[in-house]
Amino acid sequence: MTDEATATEKPSDNPILFVAKPMLTAARQFARSLVRPSTVVYPFERLEDPAFRKEVAVAPGKPIGVGAIWDNYRGVHALNINTCISCNLCAFSCPDLCIDMVNVPGGDPKHPKKCPQIDYGKCSYCGFCSDACPEGCLTMTTRYELSTPKRAEMIYSPTRLFEIYRTKLPMNPIRLERPENEDSILLEPPLCIGCNACSRDCPTNCITMVDVTKPEFKPGEKQPRRIWKEPVINDSDCVRCGTCISVCPKECLFWGTRK
Amino acid sequence: MSEMWLNMGPQHPMTHGLWNLRVKIDGEMILDCDPEMGYLHRGIEKISEDRHYNEVITLMDRCCYVAGLAWEHLYILAAEQALHVTPPERADYIRAMCDEFQRIASHLMWYAAFVQDLGLMSPFLYGMRDRDLVLDLFQSFTGARMTYEYQRVGGVRSDLPAGFTDRARKVLDWLDERYVEYDRLCLGSTIFRERCDDLGKLTARDCIATGVTGPMLRSAGLKRDLRKDRPYSIYKQLDFDVAVADAADVTARYLVRMEEMRQSSRMLRQILDWLDHHPGPVLADRLPRWLGAPYAPQGREGYLLKRNYPKGLGFSSVEEPHGEAQAYVVNEGGEHPYRVKFRSPVFANISAARHYLVGYHVADIPPIMGSVDVCVGEVDR
Amino acid sequence: MGGATLFSVSDTLASVLLNGLGSIFPQPIHGWLTNPDLILGLAVLIFGAILLAASMINTIVLIWWERKLLGRFMDRRGAMHVGYAGLLQNFADGLKLFRKNTFRPRESDSLGFYAGPVAYMVTSLIIFGILPISSGWNSGALPLSLLLALAIFSFAPLFIFVSAWSSNNKYSLMGGMRSAAQMIAYEVPLLLAVVAVVVVSGSFDLATIVQEQQNYWFWGPLFLALVVFVAGMLAEMERIPFDLPEAEAELVEGWNTEYGGMLFAFFMLADYLRALVGSILVVLLFLGGWTMPGWVPSAATSFPLAGIVWFMVKTYAVFGLFVWIRASLPRVRTDQLLRIGWNRMIPLSLASVFLAAALVLVRCLPVFGCLPSPGV
Repeated sequence: MTDEATATEKPSDNPILFVAKPMLTAARQFARSLVRPSTVVYPFERLEDPAFRKEVAVAPGKPIGVGAIWDNYRGVHALNINTCISCNLCAFSCPDLCIDMVNVPGGDPKHPKKCPQIDYGKCSYCGFCSDACPEGCLTMTTRYELSTPKRAEMIYSPTRLFEIYRTKLPMNPIRLERPENEDSILLEPPLCIGCNACSRDCPTNCITMVDVTKPEFKPGEKQPRRIWKEPVINDSDCVRCGTCISVCPKECLFWGTRK
Repeated sequence: MSEMWLNMGPQHPMTHGLWNLRVKIDGEMILDCDPEMGYLHRGIEKISEDRHYNEVITLMDRCCYVAGLAWEHLYILAAEQALHVTPPERADYIRAMCDEFQRIASHLMWYAAFVQDLGLMSPFLYGMRDRDLVLDLFQSFTGARMTYEYQRVGGVRSDLPAGFTDRARKVLDWLDERYVEYDRLCLGSTIFRERCDDLGKLTARDCIATGVTGPMLRSAGLKRDLRKDRPYSIYKQLDFDVAVADAADVTARYLVRMEEMRQSSRMLRQILDWLDHHPGPVLADRLPRWLGAPYAPQGREGYLLKRNYPKGLGFSSVEEPHGEAQAYVVNEGGEHPYRVKFRSPVFANISAARHYLVGYHVADIPPIMGSVDVCVGEVDR
Repeated sequence: MGGATLFSVSDTLASVLLNGLGSIFPQPIHGWLTNPDLILGLAVLIFGAILLAASMINTIVLIWWERKLLGRFMDRRGAMHVGYAGLLQNFADGLKLFRKNTFRPRESDSLGFYAGPVAYMVTSLIIFGILPISSGWNSGALPLSLLLALAIFSFAPLFIFVSAWSSNNKYSLMGGMRSAAQMIAYEVPLLLAVVAVVVVSGSFDLATIVQEQQNYWFWGPLFLALVVFVAGMLAEMERIPFDLPEAEAELVEGWNTEYGGMLFAFFMLADYLRALVGSILVVLLFLGGWTMPGWVPSAATSFPLAGIVWFMVKTYAVFGLFVWIRASLPRVRTDQLLRIGWNRMIPLSLASVFLAAALVLVRCLPVFGCLPSPGV
């Protein structure tokens, strides 16, 4: 195992007739590529095209077309607006800050639905957003042609992303399992005022406000000004988006391990 | 003709990137030289301090754009040590496979650029063509061809797709045939021999003095390979040899890199066999709870900073295709690394330019610098 | 080989034109117009125009041919989309360069900067007036046409050096120096190899040299000279493996670094003009020129310009060899190039001269008739 492999020249590597070897090698390649060069005539032939892929399947002398699993390519996103829960996780997870949550037309004007809008001028196609999406509604497709003469057109609104979703392009098939030992969102009860903000803004409606028994107060004792309700979080439905933490006015929610 | 300084770069066909080699020439002779780096500095180490541990991976692919997965591995090893995470064995094997495939891809890229510098036109295309096969393989399990973002703290993003190992073996078979062809095109040509023999000599003593590592060091006859000397990941289990040559010239570097590709193929066959027979998880069960891998960290607004998480230091050194890369990660308990520091092998290799350029001709600069295998992305970081 | 040639075609055209024109005029003008000298002069002009157009088109097609061949050598396709199989791609490129702005570095010398490429182009074009492409090439009927062609061919380093020097760029200067050194070094073996041909054929006239190859081509007896000549031509044409004046890797683009637009197109065109001249000279001197092969039916042989077509086929094949070399070899270094030139090529070419002289003395040349000469 520890034999020293010295990268020495073998006598068979030596030149014959000055340049005969390389010239013959080039000529052999010439003959091979007369049949079919390895290049893909791009706009006319596409690697992701199943028919073309079949034609150039891997075989000796046919170097192209190995990338048979084109489907997990990380290209332009597709967004299913209907299943999006506006959890903000994609925007949180984006290392380039290229995702903005913007209002989607339609729906309740007072509480408009927010969906991701992606600026492809900044996007690095890392796929963290689609990995983070708890509902699987933001995925990456195989589309890779998005050059445009206008910079503004690089910004894809949710509607535009939804259109891509409706073209039924092959989507990235990789769906990641949630880790079992995730943090949960815990409550520090003495601080809570029962304001309902967390429950109202929770994208998955996994927070329910339950009554807490009002303690007995002595007469004259100062009572806290609060509603006697407390949030209870259903961990199995929670997507850990942290929206409740950020809307909590008293900062009484925090990450932790549920005992 | 009197002496003059010549700026080769920052935009010059020889540089393969964005750096400047100032040479002092008298006619065609090189009297002195002065490499200038820093044109591609993006502050990756500083940006890393503002990124979650997993998000730094996106920067690693941009750090060295021809060996992204190797640099991901480098960072991940240090980060895992700092975060006290152990990846499952299968993930380790997949990472080692990435490393070796990346070594082949990087060396093919080097081959293409190197022969192009010599004026060989078609092998440039052959090298790029065959590198594309490896990139296709990468694409089939990482989802991208250059910026992979595949490895995660505690494992890798996803398992290999079905039928991957067979495709990989086919590619290896194809490449094994091509190596012979490459040798015929280069070693079999008298002109190549006359150009490259006894060129760019850098003795082992000079290598050690200037911190030159990788194939350049091994071509000087020093058997130093981190995969053998300080085995990380699973390299202890693999059966391979270290490619060493004695001549310390450009031909020797060519031979070492060619032999390394062959050894990588040999290692890859072992790894692929192992992967065939050992299915399993590719992400660790016990991750730091707040890391939330494979998900991106939860929230950007600094909730986690309030909490005390275990601190740690991580150091890793990896035999990257260009040489010995090192990473140092300081975990001060926050959601971001406190400090990330990388050692780029190419930085040292270029900085030693004076030792292997002076005394040769101007026409020798491209092959010599080509044999160094410059990747400016990691030099400037 | 009689039949129509390009020159006789233009001669006929001129006489038809002037006779027709003269017939409608009264006597004094008619006599003046149908003056044979005038007809000859007009014929030369027409011939020159045809030649200019033909050489330019051939050059551009030659670039296409190189791009296609090189593409296949590199496992790709080459130009494909403009015109049939990309035939018009180079015209499009030329048009693009033509429309571009001509600029000049501020510190450069304007006379040399502009005159260099033009003179380079013009001297390359002049050679086409001398080279006979088929029999009966009256306009170039010079007894020393071979010497004249090579003399004009070797003007180039001067103009290259002038334009490189006046560019006021370090890379240009180094490229120009290399170019001058290289071309002058390879001039000597090239001419010595030609001397071998002259010894065997006994003439400096290219047409006569081709006539002498009726029975056997000279590549058999003068194989050594052919090798030297091809190597020298590669150096004169500045193609890989001897393209170091333009060595892209270290000198950016060598002596034409500072040129852009149409001036660059001049250099590019002139380079390929010289490549065409080189291929033509190889065909003329060693591969039998325009002499038609025996197996071609006489109907095809008597077809007008058949000799030219056959000639061009050979020329393109020879250029294909140059492309093959370019696709598979790296470039050499300056000192190696000069060492090869002075130490290897000159002794080899001298040997080839002596060999040729010996062959002529012992009168064993007809033996080579048995060698494959598909043109005979």
